[in-house]
Amino acid sequence: METLVIIVFVIGYLAIALEHSIKINKTASAILTGVICWTLFAVANPTESILNSSQFAHFLDGLKLDLADKFSTIGQHELYIRFVGSELSHHLSSISEILFFLMGAMTIVELVDAHHGFRFITDRIKTENPKSLLWIICWVTFFLSSVLDNLTTAIVMVSLIRKLIPNKEMRLFFAGMIVIAANAGGAWTPIGDVTTTMLWIGGQISTLSIMKVMFIPSVICMLTPLIYLSFTLKGEIGKASESGAKHKAPDVGGGLLMLILGIGALMSVPIFKTLTHLPPYIGMLFGLGILWVVSELIHPELDEAVKKNYTAAGALSRIDVPSVLFFLGILLAVGSLESMLTLEHFAGYLAQTIGDNRIIITLIGLLSAIVDNVPLVAASMGMYSLDVYPMDHLIWEYLAYCAGTGGSILIIGSAAGVAVMGMEKIDFMWYTKKISLVAMMGYFGGAAAYLFIEHLLGKN
Amino acid sequence: MEATVIIIFVIGYLLIAFEHPIKINKSATAIVTGVLCWTIYALFSETPIEHIIEQLKEHFGEISEILFFLLGAMTIVELVDGYEGFRIITDRIKTKNPKTLLWIICSITFFLSAILDNLTTAIVMVSLVRKLVPNRDMRLFFVGLIVIAANAGGAWSPIGDVTTTMLWIGGQISSVNIIKTLILPSIVCLVIPLLYLQVTLKGELGHASAGNEPGQINSHADPAAVRGAKTMLTFGVGGLISVPFFKTITHLPPYIGMLLALGIIWIVSELLNPHLNEAEKKRYTAAGALSRVDVASVLFFLGILLAVAALQSMGLLNQFASYLAETIGDNRIIITLIGILSSVVDNVPLVAASMGMYSLENFPTDHMIWEYLAYCAGTGGSILIIGSAAGVAVMGMEKIDFIWYLKKISLLALMGYFAGAIVYLIIYPYLAVHA
Repeated sequence: METLVIIVFVIGYLAIALEHSIKINKTASAILTGVICWTLFAVANPTESILNSSQFAHFLDGLKLDLADKFSTIGQHELYIRFVGSELSHHLSSISEILFFLMGAMTIVELVDAHHGFRFITDRIKTENPKSLLWIICWVTFFLSSVLDNLTTAIVMVSLIRKLIPNKEMRLFFAGMIVIAANAGGAWTPIGDVTTTMLWIGGQISTLSIMKVMFIPSVICMLTPLIYLSFTLKGEIGKASESGAKHKAPDVGGGLLMLILGIGALMSVPIFKTLTHLPPYIGMLFGLGILWVVSELIHPELDEAVKKNYTAAGALSRIDVPSVLFFLGILLAVGSLESMLTLEHFAGYLAQTIGDNRIIITLIGLLSAIVDNVPLVAASMGMYSLDVYPMDHLIWEYLAYCAGTGGSILIIGSAAGVAVMGMEKIDFMWYTKKISLVAMMGYFGGAAAYLFIEHLLGKN
Repeated sequence: MEATVIIIFVIGYLLIAFEHPIKINKSATAIVTGVLCWTIYALFSETPIEHIIEQLKEHFGEISEILFFLLGAMTIVELVDGYEGFRIITDRIKTKNPKTLLWIICSITFFLSAILDNLTTAIVMVSLVRKLVPNRDMRLFFVGLIVIAANAGGAWSPIGDVTTTMLWIGGQISSVNIIKTLILPSIVCLVIPLLYLQVTLKGELGHASAGNEPGQINSHADPAAVRGAKTMLTFGVGGLISVPFFKTITHLPPYIGMLLALGIIWIVSELLNPHLNEAEKKRYTAAGALSRVDVASVLFFLGILLAVAALQSMGLLNQFASYLAETIGDNRIIITLIGILSSVVDNVPLVAASMGMYSLENFPTDHMIWEYLAYCAGTGGSILIIGSAAGVAVMGMEKIDFIWYLKKISLLALMGYFAGAIVYLIIYPYLAVHA
């Protein structure tokens, strides 16, 4: 059963990568892959390794508490079915948190955009030189991403370059670099990226230490591709053409207000989370709700039909819902691999055959370009114990770096990449050809820098 | 803290009801209400925060299942509609008499809803009446009755409605018995409003005109350019009908089956018209259909269900149910009230609360209170448009105003509800296993 699921996963993955050649939308492939993986998991006979796993034992303990004396009446197969169901609902809940967060962020940014709010920023950037613009954009992304999450940062920055760079071919390179910069910027602060946050909350890394040792590697991870593109990038930013602007609604005012509220809402998400301890999507929905109300109130002079374009309801009809479903499909598929313990087996297999932790973690980083980095880090956290590897040990910091930045190597390797892919209709193959190699250079450059710094500090 | 949350819930509810006069979109209000309820609960409750987060996670998982199910069903129906697939059905319905048509539509809805869930049924049937009834004023009555018929049709079959299914899976009711005892009350619940409208309904079906609905025209297929209407109808309806089968075979939740159907029909939609270029083709693929689906109503649902989940997590619904039980005493009156309450808050937590309130030892399988609960919670939601999933979906599709429904349909729904309830209370001594 496990082999079959892996085959389905690989075929689905190829169908996604070759979307344009086979002419089947990647969302359809992703949804089917996710659904088929779970179906196989559910109808198969349970394997020994699942029945003997700690997850299954934990599930049984919970069920015993819930059902008390009724527990003994449930047969083995029924238990397995319930286990699969509980795993699935557990995954769906975590996945949906990401999806509604994404939807909220995309709608807020789209709403600001409809009011021409980003013009207040883009009008200040006067440079016509693509290379200096690329440097500005990348640094802004890098630092923004260390405060906000990578996803939001990437969405905001891509909306900006849409205004700044009318030339689509040039813009794709910018979008690719934004993915790299957003992921690199997230790796060096405890709140910048989900996996770093996981390690921070789990007590594997401490705030100051991670920022101190990880800043330079993260910068190098972004700078290497940036310098490379500074030499090789050719072309013009282009002029805004009529055709590009025609689908845009006219400016009705309120742009500055929406910009301030929009950025304010996005910035307050982490603060909201710290205050209430509720998950980030709740804060994002709160921000969306407030912007929505404001967007309905600031245009009393417009009639209903025109006004709709400038409200969140209109913005929602323009956001790319297929990429939300794409994400759902991909994450469901990876979730099934995680629940079947395939990822854990693979990580364990790596650990046994390779031995050197640095090489294993480098490989985990590369692997995080293919499957989501959250389950990978979760698997690694279970693989190494805090007793043997105490807080701020090399492997934790290096894991934070690798899992955080390795996702840039493929466009579907990180949440930021997937969102940008939907917004700018970037082809998987285009990214693989033009960006993956430079991302990989940056990844290894930063990794080497980190290992060198650690060597100097004498940790090892 | 509890008082604050209730006040916020009530204010949010009022703002949703008066969406049109105050001109704030109900989705915005619903989201803010849901978020505020949870925020206050998280900040001021004495419950440990880990426990609150756990509760939220659990509710959110269940809510997401409904939302992705809804999104999938809406996209499939929109896709079939984009191909003019429903014309194959609507072309066969020749009647121009609104009253005859209303009886036909309601009967189909009633029996379709017994097999499919209410939500899918309502979405499909509303897509049909869009074609059959161009006159919007008239159509709204059809839509209102579809909500009533979908909810009534779901109540008497164990797979027709979430709450009936809950009671069935929980062992409170058995298949054959629930069908036997509830089919008559459910029919009465629908027929009473129908008879009333038979006398009072005025107006014409209207003619399809180009100027009538400018928003609709561009989403319609040009039959000369696009083929595959029949294929899409077959796949769409087949996909929706296979969802319950998929669930029975795999034991996976229904949204997975719905996503499977969506994935397959998506691929079919991309392959059907190889002669079109990319830009033309997009309208006829699921990607195009998704851009026409009303995502705002998905978020509305999210907000409402989050708010109700907060009330449930704080134990307020449970407290209210047991307060009713203590002060009233007679189970029949309590359950009737729970049914009416289910038009204000979601019926799933209400039924869950009731299942916890009464034990299977005192009230064994097929006891009258379980059957009556299945009827009341299933049909009571029709009284307000946001009382049932079918109502919320239809509200988004047809832009029905809360107040319009309240004025024109609520009373009819209430009449049907009580008539069915009375019928049940009269017949159950003759049919039920336990009196």
